[in-house]
Amino acid sequence: MRPLRSIALTIAAGTAALALAGCSGTSQASTVTNQIPELKSDQQVNITFESYNLAQAGVWTDTVKGLVADFEKAHPNIHVTAQAPQGGGAVGSNTVSSVQTQLLAGHAPDVAQLTFDSLDFAATQLGAQPISDLVGKDAVDQALGGAHPFHPNAKHLADWNGKTYGIPYVFSTPVLFYNATKLADAGIANPDLSTWDKVEAAAKAVTAKTGKPSLDISCTSIGGNWCMQGVFKSNGAQVLSDDRKTIGFGSDAAIDTVTKMAQLSKDGVLRNADSNAQFEGLPKGDTAFILTTSALQGSFMSAATKGGWQLKAAGMPSFGSKPAVPTNSGSALFVLSQDPAKQRAGWELIKFMTSDHAYEQISTKIGYLPLRTSLTAAGGSLYDWAQKNPLLAPNLVQLDRLQPWVSYPGNSYVQIDDILGKAVENVVYYGKDAKTTMADAQKRAQDLIP
Amino acid sequence: MAFITIAPPAQPGSADTSTVPERSKASGPTTAPAAGLRRTRFASLRLGSLRTVFLRTLPSHVLLIALAIVSIFPIYWMFVTAFRPPSDALSINPLPGPLSLENFQYVLKTIPIAGMLANTFGMALALAASQLLVAILASYGFARWDFVGKKALYLLFVGSWLVPFQVTMIPNYLLVSQMGLLNTITGVVIPQLCSAFAVMMLRQHLEAFPKDLLDASQMDGRSSWRTLWEVVVPNLRPALAALGIMLFISAWNEYLWPSLIMQKSDALIQVGIRGFLGAEGNNWGAIMAASSLACLPIFLIYIFLQRYVVDAFVRSGLK
Repeated sequence: MRPLRSIALTIAAGTAALALAGCSGTSQASTVTNQIPELKSDQQVNITFESYNLAQAGVWTDTVKGLVADFEKAHPNIHVTAQAPQGGGAVGSNTVSSVQTQLLAGHAPDVAQLTFDSLDFAATQLGAQPISDLVGKDAVDQALGGAHPFHPNAKHLADWNGKTYGIPYVFSTPVLFYNATKLADAGIANPDLSTWDKVEAAAKAVTAKTGKPSLDISCTSIGGNWCMQGVFKSNGAQVLSDDRKTIGFGSDAAIDTVTKMAQLSKDGVLRNADSNAQFEGLPKGDTAFILTTSALQGSFMSAATKGGWQLKAAGMPSFGSKPAVPTNSGSALFVLSQDPAKQRAGWELIKFMTSDHAYEQISTKIGYLPLRTSLTAAGGSLYDWAQKNPLLAPNLVQLDRLQPWVSYPGNSYVQIDDILGKAVENVVYYGKDAKTTMADAQKRAQDLIP
Repeated sequence: MAFITIAPPAQPGSADTSTVPERSKASGPTTAPAAGLRRTRFASLRLGSLRTVFLRTLPSHVLLIALAIVSIFPIYWMFVTAFRPPSDALSINPLPGPLSLENFQYVLKTIPIAGMLANTFGMALALAASQLLVAILASYGFARWDFVGKKALYLLFVGSWLVPFQVTMIPNYLLVSQMGLLNTITGVVIPQLCSAFAVMMLRQHLEAFPKDLLDASQMDGRSSWRTLWEVVVPNLRPALAALGIMLFISAWNEYLWPSLIMQKSDALIQVGIRGFLGAEGNNWGAIMAASSLACLPIFLIYIFLQRYVVDAFVRSGLK
């Protein structure tokens, strides 16, 4: 039933997208050119805030609800209804379809947390409002600045055509976590894992000791395209040209990248497992390395403490002397409301949810990276927390080399991402020919570019 | 079968001869050795046929046992994982233990599970009751009267059953939204008031309903409406109970539609369970504990109404 449901869901989402595409002209035309007025102190405004963090019970829901409660205390005239996205699917995977459905019914959330891969679609089709037009560029810069400003590479991740459509909220970078105890058992102490060759050598040593593949890379599995983009960029390949017109899956550099990843599989060090099995491989002791989202740090740390082994982290490996280029996962906060009062209230909420106070809560409770990185420096309110979490360091260092997660143009951005994911899996794990597979994927994806 | 014709051992001098076959009685005292011989022969025959029966049914029993294990194992694993400490959630030890209630405590602390179970129960009950009512009325109409377009209408019912829910999901959502029923159980129930499957099943039962009873009821002066409630429904009680249980279970397991409509409230248990699945790994211990609790009402139904449940699932496929 599941495949049928997902197919039908895709069709439904596609239909909704088409319908929205028809409506988008009006929403674009009505883009506000004048700045929205400030709220009067007694002006009561109700807004809806949709966050995929609310779909996850525990610290995720509690932290976001706690921040919303703090916001309402600070802004007594603004009432926020916080809601999780509709429908099924994994957390973070259905944010756009949920907004689309509600938009069709005429009650889209006023503020929504959307993942960066949908930036193009959000700005051009979903009716996300350009915040820099609504409140002025200076106000945006001021919000992103302050005593502890956003990291320069994080500031403009949700900018589109020179305008700020979303304020980056929470994201992670790819980090290579490893079981240092297992490596020590294989005779490797203080390993240098800065390049793929060095990672392969270390993984081979562990595999020789344990007799099973010791490395997981979530970038090369379906759903891991956000970090696969970084792997491509680290080897000089691009998934999409700078003019956003040409797909680059079939380029020589891209073929070389997947061939190198496939070699890890052929050498018996890279394990073929789906993303869930990968996330559980390191905690269970099945594997010794995993290149994955830094957001998993908390669950790995508790598994290491309980399992009595040492968890360490390294940055994303590079290809030889070329610098590694990490990409970000995660999401930004967008204003979707058409009503000036709700837009202003939404902006106030966004400013609050990306403030120093919010990152103190989000980082210490959920464990996400604080985008106001200087909070972790000496004198910052997250300094003590950062000292207690030394694994954070490679993640913070990587921000200096961060490049954005590219969103594909057009309504078929999800399908394009899916084509790439399947092609990479086929080459890396199932021994398909890299050149023909990637060229075919490029052709099919190119056909979906408007 | 061969062994049921075996004569019981004759006791010489026994006063009770009632169990001795007529022929044995007629042959007098000489019957004992003959009966013994026959008993041996029959016994060996019985053994032989037992062996044949055993060998013949062995493969199917092995298959059934294997299927039963495959079916039961996930349920067993759910409880085993739920009752383990969270740190052992990924353990692959097939034996239960170490015993811990930590997962249940976490679930009770994190989500309002009692309220969720009550809401889901209310929704499933309302859905099952309304679908049953519509099915009774529709199938009675189809079975009782011949009218123009009856076949076409019935085909439309069947056809609606073949349309996947996802196709009608968005239009239904818009309708419920326009009716102002979002985030209400009524909004969940209204578009699903009629279950084409239930109509089809009940119609088949009603087709087999003795027409004489309907005619007799008419001759007694009952109207069609009274005949339905005083004659048909009481006689269909087992079928209605079976169908009702089946509708309740499928409503209980609903996820996508209720999660679309009940977006602003974490009112339903299936949504509550989903909360423990996350982008940063799944909390398997909590998922299993919440799922164990979600299964309890269905288990209770199964334990107390087992006969009807089996009837519902077996007969619906065979009738």
